[in-house]
Amino acid sequence: MTDKSHRTAGSRGTFRAISGRALQYICIAVALFWTVAPIYWMISTSLKSELEATRLEPTLIPESPTFGNYVRLFQGDLPFVSFFINSVITCFLAAIVSVVIAVPAAYALSRRNFRTADQTGYLVLVVRMFPMIVLLAPLYLILLNTGLLDTMFGLILGYTTFGLPFAVWMLKGFIDAVPVEIEEAARVDGYRQWEILLRIIVPLIYPGLVTTGIFVLMEAWNNLIYPLTFITSIEKQSLPAALVLTFTGQFKTDWGGMMAASAITTLPLMIAFFAVQRSMVRGLTAGSVTGT
Amino acid sequence: MPAHSKQASSRRAGGKAPFLHWMVLPTLLVLLAIIGYPVVSTVYLSFFEYNLLDFTPPEYLGLDNFAQMASDRIFWISLKNTLYYTGGTVLVSMLIGTAVALLLENLKGPVWTAVRALVVSPWAVPFVVVAFLFRFMYMQNGGIVNDILLDLGVIGNPVSWLNRADISLGAIIVANIWATTPFFFLLVSSALSGIPDAVLESARVDRAGLWSTIFHIKLPFLRNPLVVGSLLMVISNFNDFAKVWVMTQGGPGYATTTLVVYVYRMAFERFEIGYASALGLIWLLLLLLVSVFYIRLLWNRQND
Repeated sequence: MTDKSHRTAGSRGTFRAISGRALQYICIAVALFWTVAPIYWMISTSLKSELEATRLEPTLIPESPTFGNYVRLFQGDLPFVSFFINSVITCFLAAIVSVVIAVPAAYALSRRNFRTADQTGYLVLVVRMFPMIVLLAPLYLILLNTGLLDTMFGLILGYTTFGLPFAVWMLKGFIDAVPVEIEEAARVDGYRQWEILLRIIVPLIYPGLVTTGIFVLMEAWNNLIYPLTFITSIEKQSLPAALVLTFTGQFKTDWGGMMAASAITTLPLMIAFFAVQRSMVRGLTAGSVTGT
Repeated sequence: MPAHSKQASSRRAGGKAPFLHWMVLPTLLVLLAIIGYPVVSTVYLSFFEYNLLDFTPPEYLGLDNFAQMASDRIFWISLKNTLYYTGGTVLVSMLIGTAVALLLENLKGPVWTAVRALVVSPWAVPFVVVAFLFRFMYMQNGGIVNDILLDLGVIGNPVSWLNRADISLGAIIVANIWATTPFFFLLVSSALSGIPDAVLESARVDRAGLWSTIFHIKLPFLRNPLVVGSLLMVISNFNDFAKVWVMTQGGPGYATTTLVVYVYRMAFERFEIGYASALGLIWLLLLLLVSVFYIRLLWNRQND
């Protein structure tokens, strides 16, 4: 539904063009309602009192907006702040570990300077698609036997299972876009390969490093199954898993509090997401989409 | 991008390239430890009866676990649910995402930039939050979905969306579509912006109509990104645990039990690690099949 195509329709098509435009706007309005309404509902409910939030006839706009639900999160019995910090630390570390290990591999895979480059690349790609559920029980047993169950280390290890292959493949896409000629000059100057990587490639793909890190962070933040399985004491729990585990307790009928907790859980992801939104698709499909 | 890979492969043709490069070793070693070993261990355990609560060593069963699976009604139900869940979500999200991307394609200016940002924002909502949010909206008494539908006269009585075996899976799929659509919107938007101006220009000169422009000129450009994108989403939805677990825990009965939920329950509620491993192995093989499609697609692209 482009204005270009309407313009060619000539004066005979003016009416059709106008009604076409109206239809276009109506469709956009419907789409907008569909995406925004649930988010509005979360925020609106989080600002309602406990009573109003569960009223049988829901109010569209909070009658007397209050930040009480948010305040209670931080003053209640549950270590909500700990959940938040646990998630931030483990997700950040998982992102950093994944990116640091992945950079040299992505570079070697991008330049294909070894004979099994294709096979290795596709191996990483296959691994990226492995169902986490298959790894769950064996990883649990490993952590159990090494006494690493219920530690941040175990959680970071879990997040790395999807973070690392993801980071390798995504970073390869960013390095592919750096012309090889840039390296030739450095090679003539006597730089070794790791020096080229650290001093030339890494500074050039710095935005790509950040984007990749944020993607891993988002995936880790989203993950529920690893913290639910690998963390056994509540105060060490990640934010999403804590929401699930405590809902049966504190939040059982307190939807206002639940929605406030949800909004806090969403906020960091929202910020991270809009920071990297533009490279989103390119990162996810890693070079397989033309024109990105 | 093809230009670079060509350069790279011509350099590679030097002949003295090593078999493996030390730079990939850290990644390969880590993957070997945290993925290779668990997978081998899953294959091994799938031939055993091993319950963590029994405190007895695993007992060799041969192929019994797999035989049990064939006659396991819940396994087949969960397989069917997974296919519906994945297929329904990916198909509908793709259609909506593509349509909205086409609708917003040529609208420029700050207002439309803001609209685009709003349209993609569900992507940034954590899965657990999506699940809680929809669970709240689906509530039978005081839920906003029932409230609106009652006001509109679509339904006569409040519906218990997540507690009815016939509609609960559908209700979860709707929530999942909400969360997945932005991916396709972003994908298609960026593919649309990649269509060369000359192609659109010639369509204009030929006075191609709106629909023929979309179907004959734009869709061919969208085909590859959509195929790659849907495969990625198929894989990610195959593995989705959070939404189903938080909204229904697989119930009522087994109406919304997907394979992931079933394996999780088997391993961490009944602690039947052996049988769970066998289920996981079948799961792995199914996903590998999808991965092979995906990789062949990338492979063909690279060799074009």
